[in-house]
Amino acid sequence: MSTTEEHRTPVSLSSVSENDPRMQPAAKNPDRVERWIAILFVLGFVGFIGFGWAYWVDAAPWILGSTVGFAFSFVGIGVVAWGKYLMPKGPFVEERHDMRSTDEERDAFAAAIIQRGGGVIKRRPMLGALLGGGLGIFGIVALFPVLRSLGPLPGKTLTRTDWKKGSYLVLQDGRRVHVDDFKIAEVATVFPEGFEETPNGQAVDQTIIIRLDTEDFTTKKGRESWGPAGYVAYSKLCSHLGCPVGLYEQQLQMLVCPCHQSMFDVTVGAQPNFGPAPRPLPQLPLFIDKDGYLRSQSDYLEPVGPGYWERS
Amino acid sequence: MITLSTLRRTFAALFVLFLGTFSVFAVTAQAADEVAGARPGAASNIGKPTSTNTVKDSKGNVVQYGSDAITYKSPSAITGKTAAELRAIGRALYMQNCSSCHGVKADGVLSKGNPEAYPSLIDLGPAVIDFWISSGRMPAADPTAIQAARKTSRLSSLQSLAIAEWVNSLSNAYPYVPVVNTNDASRAEGLNLFALNCAACHTITGGGDALAAGTYAPTLQDSDITATQIATAIRSGPGNMPNYSSSLTDEQVADIVKYVKVDIQNPNNIGGAGFGGLGPVAEGFIALSLGIGILALAAFWVGDRQ
Amino acid sequence: MSDVKTKRTAKAARGPYGRVGHVLNELDDRVGSAKARNFLDKIFPDHWSFMLGEIALYSFVIIMVTGTFLTLYYVPSQTVVTYRGSYAPLYGIKVSQAYASSVDLTFGVRGGLLMRQMHHWACDIFIGAMVVHMARVFFTGAFRKPRELNYSIGTTLLTLGIVNGFLGYSLPDDLVSGTGLRIAYSILESIPVVGTYLAFFIFGGNFPGTAVIPRFFILHVLLIPGIITAMVGAHLFLLVRQKHTQFPGPGRTEKNVVGTPMFPVFMGKTTGYLFIVTGVTALLGAFTQINPIWLFGPYDAAKISYAVQPDWYMGFLDGALRIAPAWQTNNFGHTIPWTVTFPALILPGIIFGIAYAWPALERKFTGDNELHNLLDRPSEVPVRTAAGSALLAFVIWLFIASSTDVIANFMHLSLNNVLIFMRITTFIVPVVTYIITLKICQEMRDADGSGRRKTPNLVTRTSEGEYVSTAAPYHEEMQHHEEVAVPVPTFLVKDEAPSSDGVRTVER
Repeated sequence: MSTTEEHRTPVSLSSVSENDPRMQPAAKNPDRVERWIAILFVLGFVGFIGFGWAYWVDAAPWILGSTVGFAFSFVGIGVVAWGKYLMPKGPFVEERHDMRSTDEERDAFAAAIIQRGGGVIKRRPMLGALLGGGLGIFGIVALFPVLRSLGPLPGKTLTRTDWKKGSYLVLQDGRRVHVDDFKIAEVATVFPEGFEETPNGQAVDQTIIIRLDTEDFTTKKGRESWGPAGYVAYSKLCSHLGCPVGLYEQQLQMLVCPCHQSMFDVTVGAQPNFGPAPRPLPQLPLFIDKDGYLRSQSDYLEPVGPGYWERS
Repeated sequence: MITLSTLRRTFAALFVLFLGTFSVFAVTAQAADEVAGARPGAASNIGKPTSTNTVKDSKGNVVQYGSDAITYKSPSAITGKTAAELRAIGRALYMQNCSSCHGVKADGVLSKGNPEAYPSLIDLGPAVIDFWISSGRMPAADPTAIQAARKTSRLSSLQSLAIAEWVNSLSNAYPYVPVVNTNDASRAEGLNLFALNCAACHTITGGGDALAAGTYAPTLQDSDITATQIATAIRSGPGNMPNYSSSLTDEQVADIVKYVKVDIQNPNNIGGAGFGGLGPVAEGFIALSLGIGILALAAFWVGDRQ
Repeated sequence: MSDVKTKRTAKAARGPYGRVGHVLNELDDRVGSAKARNFLDKIFPDHWSFMLGEIALYSFVIIMVTGTFLTLYYVPSQTVVTYRGSYAPLYGIKVSQAYASSVDLTFGVRGGLLMRQMHHWACDIFIGAMVVHMARVFFTGAFRKPRELNYSIGTTLLTLGIVNGFLGYSLPDDLVSGTGLRIAYSILESIPVVGTYLAFFIFGGNFPGTAVIPRFFILHVLLIPGIITAMVGAHLFLLVRQKHTQFPGPGRTEKNVVGTPMFPVFMGKTTGYLFIVTGVTALLGAFTQINPIWLFGPYDAAKISYAVQPDWYMGFLDGALRIAPAWQTNNFGHTIPWTVTFPALILPGIIFGIAYAWPALERKFTGDNELHNLLDRPSEVPVRTAAGSALLAFVIWLFIASSTDVIANFMHLSLNNVLIFMRITTFIVPVVTYIITLKICQEMRDADGSGRRKTPNLVTRTSEGEYVSTAAPYHEEMQHHEEVAVPVPTFLVKDEAPSSDGVRTVER
């Protein structure tokens, strides 16, 4: 043994007879097991060839999948059976050595770090403090490009939509909505004219319009002029998590959000009376112009969509 | 000879030509947009009879109207029998099957002050009457239930149209029974419109789902649901369903009908068992019960039990 | 001694192990590889429940292989293109390139649909296996000293797997997963103080923006799989270094491991198991459809489908969001929508926090700071088993709460009533589970021989008519003769006499 080997734990190199019961296969009838495994392997290889053929002739996905699936399964069962029944059955044991190092090694390790390292800092405390401070500053400013470069500041973006005073209400195919168009209990998704194809239009401006009556409809006090000829319009963005509230039940006069089943009563300003939504849907004030087209009086008077910190 | 100045002039000419063509194109496109956006009075083919699209019989009654995409026909036009014949059959059937709830004059019966309990059938139009009967919802199995369920109809198609003809004869109303022509309909546009208008209740795979307070949107995947029934439901909004009487044109309704008949009722489930399009909930159950289940059983075999 | 090299002398010169031995020696000259013999002798205990972690590992391998195939075709871009592939209902429709390339994978690439489905099924199985494996580790107490670090790594792997799954199924930009993205955006927005900034930074602006799919792509295929691979490596390294735990049994002590050697037995069985996992995943991918994005259509912010739930491992969040009451506070001009912030952010923080903190909590409350290499039977530690069952039942109940509409539809109940039922039972279910599990475990612990195979009793009647039952003698077939375990032998000797250090008889 050379000096370097003194640090290694000596292991005994044991030998055991080939006929030792632990080295024998676990199966009572190894030859029969071997035949079964051979059959499984052959089936597996046939499956792989089948997969190749299925790919070559562009067979349906289920044929592709089933050939390779059965092939892998059969081969896998065969390999497991080989390991389980034909290999030495054991049992074998292994000693666990203490994970912990000896007390001398622990002392040496601690001494190396604390005495050596501590000595460096203790002797030059100002350098240590400066380096620490500098790294701290770097850590903070490193976050700047990681976060800020990603996207724009929210600013006032969330408080506004593209609806303005006089915007025409148009359907998704661009047709304007006329007062004579809808029957009672008809609904449609509308956008401000010009924005029905833009991503922002679809995401933020989406509005659902329902004809509740033939006469002017007042949903809340102060909104007498908002529902001309029975047309009421609400933001389609749910006040819970922003899903489009496209589900209207005409007999219950209720908008139901498909995501988490918040239910809004459209006759009183889309007040949520069930489910997790915390706020009513903002209502878009409408008016009818001299040609009979439905237009918005202004933008929504509050931010549309779900709640956020800056929303007052 | 090709000189530099010739080249310059040629390029200048081509450039002017390009600018001119582009401007003409832009202006006409703009004009076309404006025409599309503007509505000269009521829109043309949104399923209502107008002076230009109706066919009348000798007595001046409207027999059918509509467009290439959907023809709205009176029950006699569909069945080929005369209106009088149908009315006789229909009246008898009505008295036998419907009058006990809806009244002998089909104007509804109050119940505990609620006019919607046994509603009036006047001014609904023959399509709506035919829809409720042909889908088996009427005669109602349980009149007190919040929603009538679809079932195999007790009455045949002819009988249903006969009743519709008789009720409509009391006071003629629209829409007539829609006969949908899907030959020119677009499945792609159908998917687009279905996703925007229908999927919120019926789900994007048309499987239906529960709505508020015990109501529900029925499944559309049953191939017994006919094109006429789909178009009627869209135009008239049965039960809690809103109607789309003019926000969708006849072409758009035909697109939706084609998409429902082809891709909702016979979806392309090329990936294997479709689980009715139930989505990730069903997939999760399969992954955990079949996937992990089979693999855990395999582990049970591979490993020891001690 | 001749210098002529004959085949025989050359063969003799190579030594008794032939060409392979010669190559091994050459390798050892360079890297000292012969010391790896210790690794080949490593013992793995054989209990079947120790293989659940392997399901996760091999599913991850399948995910990587199928995922690599998918990256060759998928285009991570929200640029609008016109679909001109073979699926008719989408022909001529303007969709994002991400969606178009995903549909092309399905219909246009040979084997593409199989790869997509295998990838998605493997992901569902991966996370399911991690949950089941973590449950096994928890209920048997394998997380105790010295394995707390490995347990934390495992919990982090579960978290990363869930996040990566969400990112992955959002990549095709279809109607169903796009709705999930909208919800994720709103959850980000709801964070107090920094919410809108985070949402705008991550998505590159207002919803939907054009930045999120490419960013999710690189997170999904590079950054998070890289971290997962590194952590899986650390997880396995710690497992090898600390050696696997084992159940108590004959010949098994705190100071040894009894089982099968790494090479060749365990390698054989585990390779076979890898093939079986691959086979089952492929069969699922062949016969069961998953995520049929072509039926959903492309994502459009104004469109929505009903009955949309996230993939099952996010289901507990969706359920929590559905049953949360509609609370929000609005003070000094600032809104905190507690109806979102609590179920989507605070609740998972609590659940995973309990999971991470459990080893330390248990050390503190039991005062047990010993090393443990032998596992507990779950019935022997009633409090831990009951607490874990209660937490698991709570999460499963939240998952069920995410399908309130499906339940209401299937059972013809009112949706409102189902939701109210879920709200109430969410508090009752964990408490009831805790009590019942505790009682069962206490009874089992106190009963003799519980959890083991029943032993036969011989019932005799005395002449007075009294019935007496005594333990019956063991039947020959019921006895399991197990050799006493020996260390893995280094050399096998061809001789006639088999040696045996003793035979142990154990009950089957």
